[in-house]
Amino acid sequence: MSFGVVPGSSNQALHVWPNHVPATRIGGGYRWRVAPRRREGSWSAGLSSSSFRTRAAVDERGFVTAKGSFYELLGISEGGSYDEIKKAYKQLARKYHPDVSPPDRTEEYTRRFIEVQEAYETLSDPGRRALYDRDLTRGLHLAFSTRKRFDEELEDRSGWRDCWQDQISELKRRSMNKDVGENLSWGAQMRRQRAESSIE
Amino acid sequence: MALALPAFFFPSQKPSLLSSHWLGGADLHSYQHQYRLLKTRKKPCVGASLSERGEYHSQRPPTPLLDTINFPIHMKNLSIKELKQLADELRSDIIFHVSETGGHLGSSLGVVELTVALHHAFNAPQDKILWDVGHQSYPHKILTGRRDKMPTLRQKNGLSGFTKRSESEYDSFGAGHSSTSISAALGMAVGRDLKGRKNNVIAVIGDGAMTAGQAYEAMNNAGYLDSDMIVILNDNNQVSLPTANLDGPIPPVGALSSALSRLQSSRPLRELREVAKGVTKQIGGSMHELAAKVDEYARGMISGSGSTLFEELGLYYIGPVDGHNMDDLVTILKEVKSTKTTGPVFIHVVTEKGRGYPYAERAADKYHGVAKFDPASGKQFKSSTKTQSYTKYFAEALMAEAEVDKDIVAIHAAMGGGTGLNYFVRRFPARCFDVGIAEQHAVTFAAGLACEGLKPFCAIYSSFLQRAYDQVIHDVDLQKLPVRFAMDRAGLVGADGPTHCGSFDVAYMACLPNMVVMAPSDEAELFHMVATAAAIDDRPSCFRYPRGNGVGVPLPARNKGVPLEVGKGRILIEGERVALLGYGAAVQACLAAASLVEQHGLKVTVADARFCKPLDRALVRSLAKSHEVLITVEEGSIGGFGSHVAQFMALDGLLDGATKWRPMVLPDGYIDHGSPADQLEEAGLTPYHIAATVFSILGQTREALEIMS
Repeated sequence: MSFGVVPGSSNQALHVWPNHVPATRIGGGYRWRVAPRRREGSWSAGLSSSSFRTRAAVDERGFVTAKGSFYELLGISEGGSYDEIKKAYKQLARKYHPDVSPPDRTEEYTRRFIEVQEAYETLSDPGRRALYDRDLTRGLHLAFSTRKRFDEELEDRSGWRDCWQDQISELKRRSMNKDVGENLSWGAQMRRQRAESSIE
Repeated sequence: MALALPAFFFPSQKPSLLSSHWLGGADLHSYQHQYRLLKTRKKPCVGASLSERGEYHSQRPPTPLLDTINFPIHMKNLSIKELKQLADELRSDIIFHVSETGGHLGSSLGVVELTVALHHAFNAPQDKILWDVGHQSYPHKILTGRRDKMPTLRQKNGLSGFTKRSESEYDSFGAGHSSTSISAALGMAVGRDLKGRKNNVIAVIGDGAMTAGQAYEAMNNAGYLDSDMIVILNDNNQVSLPTANLDGPIPPVGALSSALSRLQSSRPLRELREVAKGVTKQIGGSMHELAAKVDEYARGMISGSGSTLFEELGLYYIGPVDGHNMDDLVTILKEVKSTKTTGPVFIHVVTEKGRGYPYAERAADKYHGVAKFDPASGKQFKSSTKTQSYTKYFAEALMAEAEVDKDIVAIHAAMGGGTGLNYFVRRFPARCFDVGIAEQHAVTFAAGLACEGLKPFCAIYSSFLQRAYDQVIHDVDLQKLPVRFAMDRAGLVGADGPTHCGSFDVAYMACLPNMVVMAPSDEAELFHMVATAAAIDDRPSCFRYPRGNGVGVPLPARNKGVPLEVGKGRILIEGERVALLGYGAAVQACLAAASLVEQHGLKVTVADARFCKPLDRALVRSLAKSHEVLITVEEGSIGGFGSHVAQFMALDGLLDGATKWRPMVLPDGYIDHGSPADQLEEAGLTPYHIAATVFSILGQTREALEIMS
C-alpha cells in the first residue's frame, strides 16, 4: 500500500477538485507523484497542526492509483537498462492501446496506457529518471510515516527559495537598464525627472 | 502560573531555545513538559486531543519582546531570531485580545510574519503600507502604537476592526470592502512621483480579493504607468467566505485559484533554470543576455498562465515565497526595497489562514470571524437566542420556494455563510452560484439567467451591492429583467462599522423606474416577501432585511410564504392624532415607541408600509387625512422611503392642509462602529427617540423630555 489513502483521514480526502486536470491529458513533465500540488487545507485529519498537512493519495489526474512504482508498472527491475525499459514499454503499449483493448474494459486500459506512457517518458530520460529514483527511495516510506510529506513540503519550500533568489537577481539586473532608451513609461519619465532635479 | 508555555507558540524552535528564555526558578519541570510536548508534536498523532498538548492563557500571555515595541521604529535593530520571537509573541497577543473582544482572527494570524517583516524592512508611516479589506490588520495595529487600545476593538469609540485613516497615521488607507488596495496604492505611488518624494508604497491583497475586477483594473494601470510600487499577494488558498460551506472547506472558486496553485510548483522551472545556467556557464559570460531571455521564456512556458498573467500586465513577479519564514520574507523585502527603479513588483506570498492556533487551523472556516472565545478550548461564546437570524430565515424561505419552483437559482459573491446560501447550496448544489468577490459580474450574470427564463435571487449585502449599481440600473432595471435582490445587512450593522453599513439601499433602489422595493418588518413578513419576489416575474424586485435575529412571530407553515399583494401595506395598531408609518425593521421600533407613548395616555397608529415602490397610496392618503401628524420611520438615509412618501403627499395635495409630515431617517453622517444599540442611539432612531418626537411635534415638550431622560 504505497499510495493508499492515509489512515484516519475522512472520505473527503478523495474529493476531486472540479478544476482537476482531466484524466485524458498526458501530462508533460514528471507529475506522477502522490501529493497533488494543490493545498487541501488541514481539515483532512486529526493530525497536528501547522507546517504540514495531509495530502490525499490522489494524483494530478484525479484518480487513486493503487499500484507501485513505474518500475513495477513496466515490469522491470529498478536497475533496468534503457533497452529493457523501451521493450517493456512497447509491449505494454501494444497491449493497452485503446484501439485493441477489449470493449468492456476500454476505460481501464486507456488509463493504464497513459500511465505506461508516462512511465516511459520519465524513465527513458536519464535526468528525470534520476530524480524519480531519488523520490522513490523516499516514497517507499510513504505509507508508514508522514515524514516524507514534511520533507517534501520543506523541499517544495526550498525549491521556492532558489526560484525567488533568481527572480531577485533578475530584478536587479533589469533595474540597471530600466529607464534607458526611447519610449519611456510615465513612471520612467518621473524617475528621470527626479534624478535630474536631485543632481541640480 | 502561566509558565507552562504552549508549544504552539514556538513552532519551529528546539527545546534548547526554550530553555534559554524560560528556564528559571522552578521551571525545570515545565521545561521538561515543554520538551516532551515538542517531541510528541513532531510525530503525527491521528486523533490526539488538543487539551493534552498545551495550555492557552486565559490571562494575558507573557510577551517580553513585544512589550518593548511601541512603534515600528523599535523593531529596526532586531535580529531575525528576535523577529521570529516577536512574531510568536504577537500571535499569542492577538489570540488573547480577539478572544476577549471577538473579531477577525484567522486572517490576522496568517499575516503575522508578513506584518513583522514589513515593518522591520520598511519605514512606516513614510512608507505607505495598505491592507486590502483591512480585517487582517490587527498585528499591524498592535505594532503601530495601538496595542493598549486593543481591548476596545470594534466597540464604540474604540479601535476600528479595519484600517482607518483618522485613527492613525500608520493606516494609509481606509478599507472594509475588498480589492481597493492596489488602486489606492497606485494613486499614492503616482502622487509621490508627482510630488518628488521617495517613499515606498506597498499593497497587501489576498487571493480572495484578487477575484474582483478592480484588482486587475489597477494592475493593468500600474503596469502601464510603471511607477515604483510593491503588490504583495497574500495567498492562503481561501477565496470564499467563510472559507467553508456547512460540510467542509470549499474548493476554490474560479480558475484563478488553480493558476495560483500551479505557480507554487517550482520543480520543473527549477530544472530548466539549472539547465539554462549550465548552458550559460559553458558558453561564457557574454551570453548573459541570451540566458536571461531563455529565463523569461522559460518562466512563461513552464509556469503556465500564472506568473505570465501578472507579467503581461506589467508587474514583475517574484515568488512563491513561504509567508511564515521570517528569513525569506525579510530578505526579499529588503532586496526589493534596495533596488532602485523596479517599476511595479508583485510578490506572491503563501500563508496559512489561522496559522499558529490549532483550533483555527483545523476549523473549516479557519476562524475567519469569531465571537468572544476561550483560548484554551477554542470554544466561542455564542449566546443562545429564541429566534434565528434573518439570514437563516431567508435561506429557509428560499429553499421552500425552490422546492416547488425548479427555476429558482441563487447567486452570491463569495459570501456563502454571510448570506445563508450555504444552506441552500447543500440542498440544491447545482442551483447556487458563487462567483467570487465580483458583485458586478454577479448582477449581470443574474440578468443573463433571467433572460433564459430562470428566476435568479441575488443575495448581496446592501453595502456590497453599491459596487454593482450600474449593473443594477443598466443591465437589470433598464431592460426590466426579473432579477430578485435579497439585501442582507440593511441599516446599521454594529461592530463592522460604516464600511459595512447598509444605509443607502432604499434611496438607490427606489429611484429606479422598474424596481419593486419592499422590506419586511419581521421574519414572517420576510418569508412572504421571498414568495412575493419569486412571484414577480415581469420586473426586477428587491427586499432588504437587517442584521440580527427575528422578533418571535409565528412562521408560515412549512416555511412557505404567501405572496403579498404588491403595493399594499398594513395597519398594525389603530390610534389617533399621530400615525407612525414604518418601513422594514423600523416598524418594530415604532411598535415599541407606541407602547411608550401609551403610558402617557396617547394611543398612536402604527402602520407597516411594506412597499416603498409602488407605495401604498391609499394607506398614505387615509393616514394623512385622519391624523394630525404623519411620521415616517426608516433605517436608511435621506432620499429613501420618507422622501417617496413626501413626494407623493406633495403631488396629491396632502401637504396643503393641516397635516404635518416628519421624516425620521439616519443622520447625514457616518456612524462609527459600536454595538447595534449604541449605533441606534447615536442615529436617534430608538423607540425613545421616536416617542419623544411624537410628543415634541404635538407640542407636549414635557412628555418628550420625560421620555428622553
